[in-house]
Amino acid sequence: MTVTIDGIPCACEAGEYLLDIAARNGVTIPSLCHHGGLPGQGCCRVCIVEVEQGGWKNIVAACIYPVERECAVFTKSERVIRQRGMVLSLLRAAAPESAEVARLCEVYDAPEYERFVKKPKERCILCGLCAKACQSLGTGAIVTVNRGVEKAVSTPYDEPSAVCAGCKSCAEVCPTGAVEVIEDGINRTIWGKSFPLKKCGGCGALTGTLAELERAADKAGAEIPALCNRCKQKSMSDVLASTYGW
Amino acid sequence: MTRTVLVCCGTGCIATGSLSVAEALRGEIQKSGADATVETVIKETGCNGFCENGPIVNIVPDDVSYYKVKPKDAPDIVKGLGGEPVRRLLYRVDGKPVPSQKENPFYAPQHKIALRNIGIIDPAEISDYIGRGGYEALQKALAMTPDEIIGEVEASGLRGRGGAGFSTGRKWRIAAGYESNPKYVVCNGDEGDPGAFMDRSILEGDPHTVLEGMAICALAIGAAEGFLYIRDEYGLALKHMEKAIRDAEDKGILGDKIMGSDKSLRLTVVRGGGAFVCGESTALMASIEGRVGEPRAKYIRSVQRGLWDQPTVLNNVETLANIPVIINEGGEAFARIGAPKSKGTKVFALVGKVKRTGLIEVPMGVTLRHLIYDIGGGVIGDRPFKAVQTGGPSGGCIPADMLDLPVDFDTLTSYGAMMGSGGLIVMDDRSCMVEVARYYANFLAGESCGKCTPCREGLRQMLIILTDICEGRGKDGDVTLLEEISATMLDSSLCALGKSAPNPVLTTIKYFRDEYDAHIGDKRCPAGVCPKLTAFEVDPALCTGCTLCKRTCPVGAISGELKTAHEISESACTACGVCREACRFDAIITAPKRRCGV
Amino acid sequence: MAVQTISLKEINPILSAYPKDRRYALAIMQDIQRRYNYIPREALETLADYIGIPLADLYSMATFYKALSLKPKGKHIIKVCDGTACHIRGSMNLVNSICRTLGIDQDGATEDGEFSLELVNCVGACALAPVMVIDEAYYGGVTQESLPKIFEAVRKGEAP
Repeated sequence: MTVTIDGIPCACEAGEYLLDIAARNGVTIPSLCHHGGLPGQGCCRVCIVEVEQGGWKNIVAACIYPVERECAVFTKSERVIRQRGMVLSLLRAAAPESAEVARLCEVYDAPEYERFVKKPKERCILCGLCAKACQSLGTGAIVTVNRGVEKAVSTPYDEPSAVCAGCKSCAEVCPTGAVEVIEDGINRTIWGKSFPLKKCGGCGALTGTLAELERAADKAGAEIPALCNRCKQKSMSDVLASTYGW
Repeated sequence: MTRTVLVCCGTGCIATGSLSVAEALRGEIQKSGADATVETVIKETGCNGFCENGPIVNIVPDDVSYYKVKPKDAPDIVKGLGGEPVRRLLYRVDGKPVPSQKENPFYAPQHKIALRNIGIIDPAEISDYIGRGGYEALQKALAMTPDEIIGEVEASGLRGRGGAGFSTGRKWRIAAGYESNPKYVVCNGDEGDPGAFMDRSILEGDPHTVLEGMAICALAIGAAEGFLYIRDEYGLALKHMEKAIRDAEDKGILGDKIMGSDKSLRLTVVRGGGAFVCGESTALMASIEGRVGEPRAKYIRSVQRGLWDQPTVLNNVETLANIPVIINEGGEAFARIGAPKSKGTKVFALVGKVKRTGLIEVPMGVTLRHLIYDIGGGVIGDRPFKAVQTGGPSGGCIPADMLDLPVDFDTLTSYGAMMGSGGLIVMDDRSCMVEVARYYANFLAGESCGKCTPCREGLRQMLIILTDICEGRGKDGDVTLLEEISATMLDSSLCALGKSAPNPVLTTIKYFRDEYDAHIGDKRCPAGVCPKLTAFEVDPALCTGCTLCKRTCPVGAISGELKTAHEISESACTACGVCREACRFDAIITAPKRRCGV
Repeated sequence: MAVQTISLKEINPILSAYPKDRRYALAIMQDIQRRYNYIPREALETLADYIGIPLADLYSMATFYKALSLKPKGKHIIKVCDGTACHIRGSMNLVNSICRTLGIDQDGATEDGEFSLELVNCVGACALAPVMVIDEAYYGGVTQESLPKIFEAVRKGEAP
C-alpha cells in the first residue's frame, strides 16, 4: 500500500511505523527519544506529524504510529509547526544545556518564551531511553523514578548501583548527552560509581570496564579476552601469515 | 411479617457514627422483646447518597427515613416502629417534617438503575442480592448467544460511564470479534476524579451487581478471567468485593462451571497503587501487570491488545452496574430512558457549596439547574452561584448562564467541559476561578505519569504561571501563553490525561476571563481567596460584635469587644478566610488591598 | 522517624502469600506498607530476590505509586483530603490548623512519632467536606476546635 508524506507517495507495508517509512523515502522527521534498537518510546513528541484519514486530521507521534490504512501525512503543516515548536520550547526549558535540543529549536524555529522557567544545568529530557537500554541488557541498574513533574532517572535510593557494570550503553543511547561519563584512562565513573578500565594487552587501548568484560565473558562461558578486537584480528592474521608464509 | 430497619453503613455514614447507631438499635430491639406478629431485622446497607445528613436509618415497609441519627435515638426509634414516626429525626421540607423519601426533594426526582439496590440490601449478604432478582440476568445470559447479549447492550445505547462515553456494546462487539485467547474483562474501580464517589458507593453497597455485569461481559466476549482494579483507599469497597467474589464462588455463580454451565470465570481484586493516571485504561492494565502505571499510545486499542497484549474489555463500575438491568428488561426499555444520544441514567456526586450534597441518580438529559437547584436546593447560604465544575481534572467550569444545558455526554463536551464520571462541584462567589485552575494544574502536575513532554513540561510551566497569577506576579500575555501551551497539550500529549488536562484552564479563561484580568492587571482576587491578593475588613454596619470571628481567627488578627464592631489588623491577617466563613452576618468583606505592590 | 529493624521472619510470610510473579509486586509492597507504614529497604531488596526482578524496577514502582512510601511514617497517619470539594470548603485551612495543633509541617511528623500528616487526593467522602482520615477512620466536617479532642482519642486508642 501507499501513503503520501508531504505529497510524496511512499510504498509501505501495513503496520510499519510512519517514521521508518518517511526515513526510507528521504523525508526528515526530527526525533529525540526514538532509537532503532529500542523502539516504542513515543514520549518526546518531537516527531509529531499530522495524519489525514477518513475526513479526520489528527496529530500523531510518527515513531509509534503504525500505518494501517492509506492516508495523507503532513510533516510541515501549520499545526505541526506550531505544536512541534511548543514541544521544543518546553524541552529547551527542561533541558537548557542540551546542544541537540538547542539545535532542533534553531532548525524548527521554536519560539523563545521568556516566561518559561528553565531547569538549571539540565540536559536530560526524561525520555527514559537510558533506562530502557539498561533493562534490555538485563542489567536493570537505572530506572525512571517518581512521576509527573518530579519524574527523574536514577539508581535505587540514588546510590551507586550494585548491578551496574559501567557499560555506558545508557550514555550511548542518550539523545542529549545527559548521562555523565568521566574517564581518566584508569577508571570510568558513571552513575556515581567508578569502574577500573581494562587495557588491551597489545596496543594498550581501553577495551571497557573490567566489570562489563567479566559479565560478557561470564555469559559466553569464556575468559576475558586479553586483546582488543583489532589486535585480536591482527594477531590472527599474523599467525595465518607465518603459517602459510604470506 | 418482617419489618426491616436499614442502617446506612456507607463510608459517609460510618464517619458520622452509623456503626454505633446500628449497635444501639440492635440492643434496643432485643430489649424490647419479640413481637409475635412482626419480626424486626436490622440491616447494614450501602450508601444512601445523602451523606451530609447521615447516619441515615430507613424503615421498610413503613417508608420512614430518619437522618442524623445518634445512638441515643435508638429507644425512640424502636418505640415508634409501626406507629408515629420520631418527628425530630425526619427530614424537613420548608419546616414541615416528611417521613417518606418520596416527599424529600433530594430523593423524589431520582430514577435508580445503577443504584437500585443500594441502601436496601446488605452488601455482605449474597442472599439479599439474589432476593432482589440478582443473578437472574446472568442466568438469562447463559441461555443467550454472545451475539444476542451484545445485541441487547447495543440496543440499550449504553455508553461508558467513566467519562469517555464510548459505546459499551460496540466495545464488546469488537472484543468478541478477535480470535486470540485468552481474553480478559476488567472493571475500572480506580475512581480518581476529585469530587466523584459513585463507583465507591456501588462497590461498597452492591458488589454483586458489578460481578454480574462482569460475568455477562465475559460470556459476551469469551473471557474466562477478569480483574477488578479498585483504589486502595476504598477499604470498605475492597472488603465487600472480596467477600462477594468468595460468596459467589461458593454458590457456584462464579468460578468453574458458572451456574452449572460449561463456562468459567475467575475474578480477582487488584488494589490500586494510588495513581490518578491509572484510571486511564492502558495505565491501569500496566499496573495490573505489575509495572509502573504509564499509559501507552492507543493507536492499537486495548480491546485488541490489552492486558498481557490480549483482547481486553475494560468497563467502569457504574457501566457494569447497568448491565444486569439491560439484560433483564431488554435494551430497548433502557433506551427509552435518558437523552437522544445518552441513554439511561447517570449517577452524579453533587458536592461543594450546595445545600443538599450527596449522590443522586437521574435520567440523562436533565439540566444542571434541575440538579443544583431542585435536587440540591441551591447554593449554601443562598449566595450567588458562580460555576459548577464537571468532569474532574479533565472537565471544566460552567458558568451561570449555561445552567439550562442538558447534562449528557455530548452537550457539555461541545462547551469545552465534559460530564466525565459525574462529579458536580458547585462553586459560589467565594470561589476563585483562577485558583481553581491552579488547583487542577497542581493536581495533574503531581498525577501525570510524566512520560511525555507536553503533559509533563506543559503542566510544569502552566503551574508556575498560574501560581504567579494567584500570587500577584502575573504578567500581560500570560493568558495567551496558557492558551498556547494548552493547544499543544490537547493535540500532542500521549494519553487522555494530557489531552484533557488543559480543560480546567481553558474553560476558566473562556468563561471567567475577568477574574484573570483582575488578578493580573489589578493584582486583586475578586473572590477573596488568593491570600496575597486579598484583604479582609469588617463592615461595621453589619457586624453585631458576636466575637465569633475573633474566636475562630487562627492568628489572632481580630480585635473587638462583645457587641461592638470588630476590626481586622491587616498586618497580622493572613487572609485565610476562616472568619468570613464563620461570620453569620456577612460582615467580613474583601477590601482593596492597600499593601498591594506585590 | 526511626527506621525499624526488619526481621526476615516477618517479611517472608508476607511474600510467600503470593506466587513469584511480578504481577503481585504491587500487592506485596502494599502488604509490607500496611505492616510497617512504609517499605523498609531490606524488605524491598528481599522482594526483588523473591520475584527475581531488578531492585530498580521495584524502586521505580515504589516511587511512582502514592500508596507506597519509602520513608518511615508516624504511628498514626493523618490524611487530609484535598479533593476539589474539600478544597473549596477549606481543606488548606484544615491543614494549617493541624500543623499548628500538632506543631508540625505539612508532610511532617510529630517528634514522638505518633502522627504524620499527608495531603491526599479525593478520598470520595465529598459530602462531608472537609474530610480527614486517620488510620482508615473518616472524620467529616472537621473544624479547628474539634482537632485536639480527635488527636487525643487517637493517641489513647479510643478512636472509632
